[in-house]
Amino acid sequence: MRIEYETQRLSKRFFMLMLVLFLVQVIFGLILALQRVDPRLLQGVENFNVARAEHLNLGILWIVSGFIGAILFIAPLLSKRDVVSPWLAKLLFYALIVIAIWNFFTLRLAQIGMAGWWEGQPWLQQGLEYLEPGRAAGILTLIGFAIFAYLVLRTFPPMREWNEIHWGLGIGVTALAVMWIFGLFFVARLDLQEYFRWFVVHYWVEGVWEVIHISIVGFLLVLLFNANVRMVGYAVFWGVTLVWLSGLIGNAHHYFWIGTPAFWQFWGSLFSALEPLPLVFCFWHIYLDAHHDRRPLANAPAFYFILGSVVLEQVGAGILGFSMTFALTNVWSHGTLITPSHAHLALFGTFGMLGLGAAYFAVASMRDIPNFDQRLGKVAFWLVFIGMLGMTFSFALGGTVQIFDYRILGLDWFGGDILRAVTPFGVLLLLFAFVFTIGAAIVAFDLFTLGARVRSPAGDAHHQHVTAKSGEPALGAVPARVPTGWARPLTGYEAAVWLLGMWIFGGIITLGLLSFNLESVRLGDPHIPYIMAGTGYPGLLLVTLLFVWRFLASLEARVRYPDNAVGAHAHHSDVGLAAGAVGT
Amino acid sequence: MSDSESRRRSTALAILGLMMIIFIVLSAFSFLGSRGQVVPYQVSFEGHGAVDGKRVFQAYNCMGCHTMVGNGAYFAPDLTGIYRRAGPAWLSAFLPSPGSWPTAVAVSAQLQDSAIAAVAKVTTLDAYYQKYPGARDRVERRGGERSDMPNLTFTKDQVDALIAYLKYTSEMNTEGWPPKPLVNGLTNSRATPGPAAAASAAVGAAGAPSSAAAAAASADPAAQGEQLATSFGCVACHSPTSQRIVGPGWGGLYDSKVKLSDGSTVEANDAYLDESIRDPNAKIVAGFPANVMPNYGKLLTEAQRTTIIAYIRSLGAK
Repeated sequence: MRIEYETQRLSKRFFMLMLVLFLVQVIFGLILALQRVDPRLLQGVENFNVARAEHLNLGILWIVSGFIGAILFIAPLLSKRDVVSPWLAKLLFYALIVIAIWNFFTLRLAQIGMAGWWEGQPWLQQGLEYLEPGRAAGILTLIGFAIFAYLVLRTFPPMREWNEIHWGLGIGVTALAVMWIFGLFFVARLDLQEYFRWFVVHYWVEGVWEVIHISIVGFLLVLLFNANVRMVGYAVFWGVTLVWLSGLIGNAHHYFWIGTPAFWQFWGSLFSALEPLPLVFCFWHIYLDAHHDRRPLANAPAFYFILGSVVLEQVGAGILGFSMTFALTNVWSHGTLITPSHAHLALFGTFGMLGLGAAYFAVASMRDIPNFDQRLGKVAFWLVFIGMLGMTFSFALGGTVQIFDYRILGLDWFGGDILRAVTPFGVLLLLFAFVFTIGAAIVAFDLFTLGARVRSPAGDAHHQHVTAKSGEPALGAVPARVPTGWARPLTGYEAAVWLLGMWIFGGIITLGLLSFNLESVRLGDPHIPYIMAGTGYPGLLLVTLLFVWRFLASLEARVRYPDNAVGAHAHHSDVGLAAGAVGT
Repeated sequence: MSDSESRRRSTALAILGLMMIIFIVLSAFSFLGSRGQVVPYQVSFEGHGAVDGKRVFQAYNCMGCHTMVGNGAYFAPDLTGIYRRAGPAWLSAFLPSPGSWPTAVAVSAQLQDSAIAAVAKVTTLDAYYQKYPGARDRVERRGGERSDMPNLTFTKDQVDALIAYLKYTSEMNTEGWPPKPLVNGLTNSRATPGPAAAASAAVGAAGAPSSAAAAAASADPAAQGEQLATSFGCVACHSPTSQRIVGPGWGGLYDSKVKLSDGSTVEANDAYLDESIRDPNAKIVAGFPANVMPNYGKLLTEAQRTTIIAYIRSLGAK
């Protein structure tokens, strides 16, 4: 497809900035992984806490940059007009660069203990997980969010014309700014500080980002598959409602052990157990929307990453989150490496992959390159996908061993026992981190140069097949038939079985964490939790890998379908977009 | 937009409102004073409030490696209850030079400080270990070894403020988290035995280093001094070169001209070095903070001080 409004091009700079920030974040991630193996590496030069602050902050910045890009790209389509005040979008872009550079330097001040206290507030950096930047950057960021909300809301049509996607994005961009305010105060009480810190972190992810995610995914599915806007809107509505129904009180799962009363354990366990519901809904919808007709994928890398985003949201946020959300399992997983296993898969998986998917879609449209070479994008997807699954696996197993040594045996870091116990998993982590890094570098390279390389007929068997057939349907050298085996069409029933498989392994993981409560385990026998984690985590991640492979194989095989063999056609969707330009 | 759509939206908003009310009510109950949760304004240490300590904690982004009430980076110990386990003397010995683990003598030296002894409510190391068994574990398993933490060169004020903050978090009610282990992990095969520590541990418990006796057997006073400096934990802060770890390096120090913080200059002779060991705050080297090193006057005999000075002399003028 091609862009319809000139101001959609404003999104490109944000996608490019996203890629740069992503690469820098990955480099810090590698430093952290190396330091997990050798804690004294770069000590005094780049202390672990500084590298981690940079890693987390860049993670937030590039995800936000991807959101801004994606929303600026779809806002004109949703509004049927250009973005108002493009100069504000450009200002926002430079402000984001300034914030990124400012944070890069101020976060390093933690190494010399400089927070920039003035009027009781830390202006340079504040040393709170996920909210590391100081007040100066925080206020600038708030202004940036306000500008962004203004841009989106002013571009949108009047409220009475809003459909569910407008509502989702409109509320999302507003709440993005509002929730940020809760992180802009120094709080002396530790319990109260943690209480408000999770306002930002949890409500951003669970209340705001997820809503923006559902809305963007919904609209991208409309664009990619010509899905019905009303049907997708229905899914967005229920997704958003369920997110808030479960997530608002679900924040309580952060209030179990921070010094707040025990009643949060009841509310948190109850409501956050419902948190996977909207994700199941979203998961189901990507199946429905991708299968409402049998046209081949026009922009495979875009769909690969969007599918990855929805599936990893299910697995990373939904299942791994579920496993540790009950007070009786969280009491063990809390404060161990189980937590980053969930955080990595959920954050990168859900929001990172969406940004990359949106970038593939938008950049290809803006450069008007329907026949770009999609192979690099696919390879990159598999590398980051496998890399991230492997990192999750390493963190999770390391965390399981850590729980046993730390909480059951009462060994501590100071004795060197915990480090020794988790180091083998740190090495594994490093291995997958390298795979991920290569994938990330390829994604960035591919998106920077997208369109410079054209799809070569010799390099893509499927495509060659299509062109040959569409060019000369009468010759029909290879008889067109519905593919069988691994590439056969995916039915709803089969997709549900895959989902069930993920949840069965998720159940094993949850019971494994729960089994730390058993008396035999508490008296020093690790077999039950070890066996359950050793089955649950690899099982879950393997099913995830195979499902995505199966899903994509069935879509890739669509070019061989009889009705597609005569050539795919450009046609028009509800929103009046030309889509599906394969073979044109 | 149809009527059914707007009805659906209002229902959703109503449910959202209900959830919000529940959440706000629960939150209000969480921070009522009647709950008796400790607040940082009530806790202080050596004249520093816990709030000051929290500012230091945030300024150094301690959460970027450690965890606090379980939140943080899972790269270093959880600090929530460390004051309760290891106590003020161990923390006072550790924090100025966190790059290495305090020895028994270093902890004893802190107990000489009447203020710390008053807070700990004990005066002897044995009683201290009884009260803070975590200090014994740390000294016996790791005392004198290098730690994985960088030397952050906290000032004395920052150390005291941090201890006040850690005291506050130790007193917090965290609803039973973390769960108490039912077994002694140190007897488990998964525990790493502390190699060098075992010997010097026995030392500390007795109050007078037995390695001092071992050192005495060695003929060379410089070698004896090196052994003493190691077992007393001097080397945690003083390097054998001119490099600054926490305190001034010893390499090339002997007989050199030392610039003091009051602007005067003094020659680093036997008398100056001896005084600096007994009463480190009498003369502060320019560029170094006061009140970081405890007085070793009562912990080292004159002979031991002479031996250590012999070692410093052997590190010579280059």
